[in-house]
Amino acid sequence: MHNNVNGSSVDVEQELALNAIRQVLKSKTSYDVLPVSFRLIVLDTSLLVKKALNVLLQNSIVSAPLWDATTSRFAGLLTSDDFINVIQYCFSNPDKFDLVEKLQLNRLRDIERAIGAKPLETTSIHPSSSLYEACTVMLRSKSRRVPLIDKDEETHREIVVSVLTQYRLLKFIALNCRETHFLKKPISELNIISNSTVRSCSMTTPVIDVIQLLSEGNISSVPIVNENGVLVNVYEAVDVLGLIKGGIYNDLSLSVGEALMRRSDDFEGVYTCTENEKLSTLLDTIRKSSVHRFFVVNESGQLVGVLSLGDLLRYILVGSKKE
Amino acid sequence: MTSNNSTNGTHSANNSAPVKDVSMVDLNNIDENTKNITQSLSQMNIDNPNELEPQPIMRNKSTLIFDDDDEIPPYSNHEEHASDIISDSGDEATHNTNVNYNTSNGQEQSQVDAASQEKMHQPQQRAPQQAQQQQTSNIMVPVDITWQQGGEKVYVTGSFTGWRKMIGLVPVPGQPGVLHVKLQLPPGTHKFRFIVDNELRFSDFLPTATDQMGNFVNYLEAVPRTHPDASLQQTHVANDQDGKLRQDQQQQQLSQQQAQKPAQPQGVTESNKSKKYPRSARSQIAFEIEQEPDDLGDGFTRFREEQPLKAVLEYTQDIPAVFTDPTVMEQYYLTLDQQQNNHQNLAWLTPPQLPPHLENVILNNYSSSSSDNSQNTSGSLPIPNHVVLHHLATSSIKHNTLCVASIVRYKRKYVTQILYAPLQ
Repeated sequence: MHNNVNGSSVDVEQELALNAIRQVLKSKTSYDVLPVSFRLIVLDTSLLVKKALNVLLQNSIVSAPLWDATTSRFAGLLTSDDFINVIQYCFSNPDKFDLVEKLQLNRLRDIERAIGAKPLETTSIHPSSSLYEACTVMLRSKSRRVPLIDKDEETHREIVVSVLTQYRLLKFIALNCRETHFLKKPISELNIISNSTVRSCSMTTPVIDVIQLLSEGNISSVPIVNENGVLVNVYEAVDVLGLIKGGIYNDLSLSVGEALMRRSDDFEGVYTCTENEKLSTLLDTIRKSSVHRFFVVNESGQLVGVLSLGDLLRYILVGSKKE
Repeated sequence: MTSNNSTNGTHSANNSAPVKDVSMVDLNNIDENTKNITQSLSQMNIDNPNELEPQPIMRNKSTLIFDDDDEIPPYSNHEEHASDIISDSGDEATHNTNVNYNTSNGQEQSQVDAASQEKMHQPQQRAPQQAQQQQTSNIMVPVDITWQQGGEKVYVTGSFTGWRKMIGLVPVPGQPGVLHVKLQLPPGTHKFRFIVDNELRFSDFLPTATDQMGNFVNYLEAVPRTHPDASLQQTHVANDQDGKLRQDQQQQQLSQQQAQKPAQPQGVTESNKSKKYPRSARSQIAFEIEQEPDDLGDGFTRFREEQPLKAVLEYTQDIPAVFTDPTVMEQYYLTLDQQQNNHQNLAWLTPPQLPPHLENVILNNYSSSSSDNSQNTSGSLPIPNHVVLHHLATSSIKHNTLCVASIVRYKRKYVTQILYAPLQ
């Protein structure tokens, strides 16, 4: 697939390194990589959606497992996707304002059905399954996180142990697999960059249209470019949490630029890379900062593609996309 | 083992104390002594600096409260209590702990009134106790760290050396690729990694976890564990002591009832006992005197202090109705109130004070400041002291939302679950 004659030793090293990393992912379980002591925030499904939003923002998290106290069962993950669904429902049904205001988490499914969105992701894995399996499940279900669910030995009830995310897995690889230093092939050669299908918007695009894009494409962000196609910012799915913090409905007429003014000051920034960069460099960045995707830009800063964490994981797991 | 024996020796010396001095009053003293020792031990366990950071004790708190406010003090870079001292003389201390742990386990029930007993405590007993306290605060647990994945030069580094010092491992003869080192570590959870031929690695054969920064490390929990022999001996001694106390009491009762007749059967068992556990000449005499009739002739009788009989306690599976039926509970407390002559009217309405070891809520060490959160993506928390497990903590109710948290073990790790639910 890669006929780069000069890079044959680089090729071999890359392949060996990938195999070594896969070996680690297969030999370690999700339980193994949990800290010795950690916290987990769980939301009761009878909580109001707007209260749940407050809890997420208060704890600076973007997702939380739900717990159905009536059945004592795990009830799926609450993610930014759910809030996007609510926003869209609100936008198309402005008369249902009261309903949304009193909406409980367990009624989110009605919203999904009403707007025809794909249902809440409920896949989960057992903590003793390997990291490799966790990756596979996430890639298959196209979700960015997977809950770890076990059963209590005595009561046989479900226990939500933790939630594994794509970012945590990649950070684990970046921090703990020395082999990542040998991933020296330019990412342009890996055939992992999505470039034809990148949806972008401009600063003046109404935020509701951007939210529409997020939901249609099941993507976590929409890049914002100027009239020359130069990347200037990004609107992330998690930004909707801040957008509707003070109430959903008056703010949907804002432009995306205005909406971004509400972003908190600790925004990490937009991570970019060029096509010539190596995977080892990208993993270095992941190790140091919470990156959720790389935008690929050319020398003049114009957006040429996007590299999601899922793209990186898939490459590490199964190699280049088959053409 | 030698130190172990010596400890047992002290115990048996205590045992023979009532025997030395004939009067049964000494039995009381003995009780006190053991209680006092137990008390100081339990204090030590709580105050153990490795388990809990010292902190100002706030009173009148009865609820485990964690704050989920934004104004949490910045997360102090958590590290386990790291000690550079790898004590060589730790062996002795360890054995002592083993024994001590046993003692305190066996006599937990006596801790309650031990505090009041402390005042009556004789000064000459303080010195040895303090010495003991000193010893136990330096408890070290011998821990074997083994690396079985080859390499020439293998070192271990970890939280116990502040991640700075490296401790070399030595090859195990006859087992190629296996190296090991025996360390004396303070009790608690220790994280470590190996440096194998200048490469930082983790063992595939030991429990693993990620630390706060996301580094993959090995970890172990150093638990002061009772040596099987020591425990056996200790319980044996304890049983013996217990049995003797009871027997003495029985004997006393009997002899009071049948003051004229020498208590023959008891005498037999006693002499049997003394064969098994040889006594000094003095204690032998003491026992002989003990076996003489209480009626000393000429109208004199031996003085006996009233010994309250120990109540025979039993465990049960049934929950008393007072805990299950609110009406019974109310009745119970009302009766209690009346009995106390209304001096402490409705005192039972005030919940008991929070024990000091529960005041360190690890969730309050979790920072929501962004700089830390960017590193701490896995929600890593300080390692909880086991005494806080299964307690329910709560935050103040905000926006009609109740937030409770509880720490439970999940396999060999700790999960702090925080549940948000509406207040209805």
